[in-house]
Amino acid sequence: MVDLQSLSALAERTVSMTTRAGADRCDVVAADTNAISVDLEKGSVKQANIFSDPGVGVRAFVKGASGFAVCTGLDEAAVSRAAAMAVSLARAGTPDKDFKDLPVARQVTTLPGLYEPKVAEIGPDEVVVMVIEMSDIAGDHKKVTSSNASAAVSVCQVALANSNGFSSAQRMTSVDLVVEAVARDGEAMFSGYDGCSGRRLEQGAIERVSGVARDQAVKGLVQTKLETGDYAIIMDPLAAGFVLGNAIGGGLNADSVQRGRSFLAGKLGETVGSPGVSIYDDPTIEWASGSTSFDGEGTPAARSVLVDKGRLASYLYDSYTAGKESRGSTGNSSRGGSVWSYRHPPSISTTNLVVSPGDSSFDEMVRETRSGAYVRATFDYPNLATGEFSGLMMESYVIRDGELGPAIRQSTMGIGIVEMLSRVDMVGKTPRDYFGVQTPPFRISSARIAGSG
Amino acid sequence: MEDLASKTIDHAMKLGAEFADLRLESSQGTNIVVMDGKTKTVTAHLSSGCGVRAFIDGAWGFAVTNDISQSSLSAASESAVKMARVAKDRAKVKFKISSSKAQRAVERYRCDTAPSDVPMEEKVSLASSLDRSMRSTDPRIVSTNARYDDFEGERIVANSFGTLVRTRETWTLAACSAWAKSDGVIQRGHDAIGMVGGYELMRTEKALSLGAEAAAQALRLLDSKPAPAGKFVCVLDNKMTGLLAHEAFGHACEADAVLAGASVLEGRVGQKVACSGVTLADDPSIEASFGFFSHDWEGVKADKHVLIEDGVLKGYLHNLESSSRMGTEPSGSSRAQTYGSPPIIRMSNTFIAPGDWKKDELLEDTKDGLLIQGSQYGYVEPSKGQFMFKCDEAYAIRHGEVGERYRDASLSGVILEVLNNVTGVADDFMVGDPGYCGKAGQSARTSDGGPHLRVADVVVGGLV
Repeated sequence: MVDLQSLSALAERTVSMTTRAGADRCDVVAADTNAISVDLEKGSVKQANIFSDPGVGVRAFVKGASGFAVCTGLDEAAVSRAAAMAVSLARAGTPDKDFKDLPVARQVTTLPGLYEPKVAEIGPDEVVVMVIEMSDIAGDHKKVTSSNASAAVSVCQVALANSNGFSSAQRMTSVDLVVEAVARDGEAMFSGYDGCSGRRLEQGAIERVSGVARDQAVKGLVQTKLETGDYAIIMDPLAAGFVLGNAIGGGLNADSVQRGRSFLAGKLGETVGSPGVSIYDDPTIEWASGSTSFDGEGTPAARSVLVDKGRLASYLYDSYTAGKESRGSTGNSSRGGSVWSYRHPPSISTTNLVVSPGDSSFDEMVRETRSGAYVRATFDYPNLATGEFSGLMMESYVIRDGELGPAIRQSTMGIGIVEMLSRVDMVGKTPRDYFGVQTPPFRISSARIAGSG
Repeated sequence: MEDLASKTIDHAMKLGAEFADLRLESSQGTNIVVMDGKTKTVTAHLSSGCGVRAFIDGAWGFAVTNDISQSSLSAASESAVKMARVAKDRAKVKFKISSSKAQRAVERYRCDTAPSDVPMEEKVSLASSLDRSMRSTDPRIVSTNARYDDFEGERIVANSFGTLVRTRETWTLAACSAWAKSDGVIQRGHDAIGMVGGYELMRTEKALSLGAEAAAQALRLLDSKPAPAGKFVCVLDNKMTGLLAHEAFGHACEADAVLAGASVLEGRVGQKVACSGVTLADDPSIEASFGFFSHDWEGVKADKHVLIEDGVLKGYLHNLESSSRMGTEPSGSSRAQTYGSPPIIRMSNTFIAPGDWKKDELLEDTKDGLLIQGSQYGYVEPSKGQFMFKCDEAYAIRHGEVGERYRDASLSGVILEVLNNVTGVADDFMVGDPGYCGKAGQSARTSDGGPHLRVADVVVGGLV
């Protein structure tokens, strides 16, 4: 890999080239990512991959219009062509007075918990051992007929520089584990899934995700149907992470809000959740997958409170949307999550979205639910214009009289996102991180379920 | 380039690979987004690189480089072989890649006007005019998004069986989204067009009317109500039938899911999985469609594959590995997003074949149900046998009459049940809804379609 200093020097030289080519403002990301991944299929190691992806992304502004050009590799001549092209593309765009400026040069403190040397030293043999261990644990049940697993480790080095004199670089490691167990019992078939991401391999992670996948696969073999009606719903961190990542990440995007496209537009300061709901964005969490010392434009990392005890406290800003409101960026300009990419212009995104834990245990939530469902997985998106959500309960279980029952076959849940947050009446103690969202389970007092019973 | 490819393959074989292949690519592309009358971004990419795969005794090694010099490609070969050895040592399932006939071809997909010959200003002007066409429709249109994408690439696929296929590929896509607001209600409408071909698509009436279509849909939805929840008889339009074909069956027919023990269709070839009269196919050979290709990313000639014929499951979608392991011919269904991704089994243009019903008769014959129109997205878990998809609009059908409008209905079903619940297949066939299908972190251009289709006992998710 190229060393960080060389990468920074290239980014700074490219800023100079882009400015000389006619950009009023510009920023340049130079990245070099190396990754190893291994896939295991039905208990047998199937494929080992090694990736190297160096490249440069140049964003130029001319009269507020932005042009973005990408070149693969770090060859100086190709980078120079990309710089000229970015300026030419910006000239073809529409002048935009709403663009005020890129972040000014500020000292960036390198956060702890971004780079784990032990991860950088992991070789393909060790990744193979990881997936085998995952598969062995996930397959350790007589009804599990297949276990599939993959593991990836990467080292990402990025340098970011802009025409205001900002220049910084950071190294980040990441580990991603995904495991699926498939169980069969006669004609019945079900699968359990789990995974985790972070900037290092947490102790016990392999055992935990593999055990969860195995147990969920077996649990789901016994199925029942539910009548259409209103039910209390306990959202698992897996389901909640997917829904909130899209609903809050998308709904609070200041660009959508300013354009009037978001269901959360105009709701700043208003109540959008129950008093038990507090949500914040925090890029400073040690070893979390979205942590970073500075955002994709060079704004230093900082925690932002988004929903404070049910009240909407802030939107997510980059420099453009912040400039439009003459306020500061919240540092939510993203070049990717755990691994930064030079291939796309930055866009607004959460870093690590966190739902504050409450004081209920999962068992208490189940015990206090007379008629409801525990939704472990859904992969549906809310309508960000209306805030309405209707999605498949891909993995869910019936709750009757405080007892967790069989898996629910073919049902969907429907509720508005604001209603969902406002009806949260119990919040769990123990968060988990899925899709860059750290959330405990929580209970919604009532939502519509369309059942097949 | 061909020489470079051959030398790289030879190098991998000399190092001990039983089989080796590569995808050597060079491409350029444009993405323009115009929002509310101003360009948001004008993006261009220049990309080149190579992905080399080596196979040894049941295991693959894959290595990627962005540098297409001989020395880098040789190093990638060495890494691929090394990774294959690492994987092979712990591979329990041993198999060979069956030798197949070497393919030699130089092909250029039809493209009348290369996007690179069109000035950037003209492309920006196109996106701006699409954006303007939405805002000029009605004062209730409060926000707009117009997008234009093009891609021009040259790909060499070579393997150790002697295959060497050089493909010049161009595709273009345009999409519009409009947000309408009235009395505090916001709704979004959208429309898209795309094909394997050049900029000529952007000069068609359909492309130029995208904005008006998106705006009209957003305005229609303003007076819609949230969809009811429950079990319904549903009449799906062409786009939703396509999404059903893709999500409900296409993914479960991908042989890699079958080999992983993660498809409910495992072991069901030759069995009845749908009503008589239901035929479902995947066909990459439909020229100018968004899912078109003539050789796949392993260099195999791509043909139409009938997956279900008259209700009976006929087979799966295959790549070189799955066909070798399952003792059949490769079907040319292997695709990689770029050189940086290993090829995996993917769909192309997936559809249900037309039937005998007239669309109007199908609606008139429906006493109580929903007409489901326009596809947003869908997903499936073949190992759970469940799928879900979301439509743009739904309408009540009462005594054969189409009535009240609903929004955001989500439809869910069970793979092994849904096509057994088909009660009518219309004759109004259409393929062409362009989109990107995601699988294993890779995106592939696809399209789908079919006729209007009536299905009983569909669980519709809604808020009321």
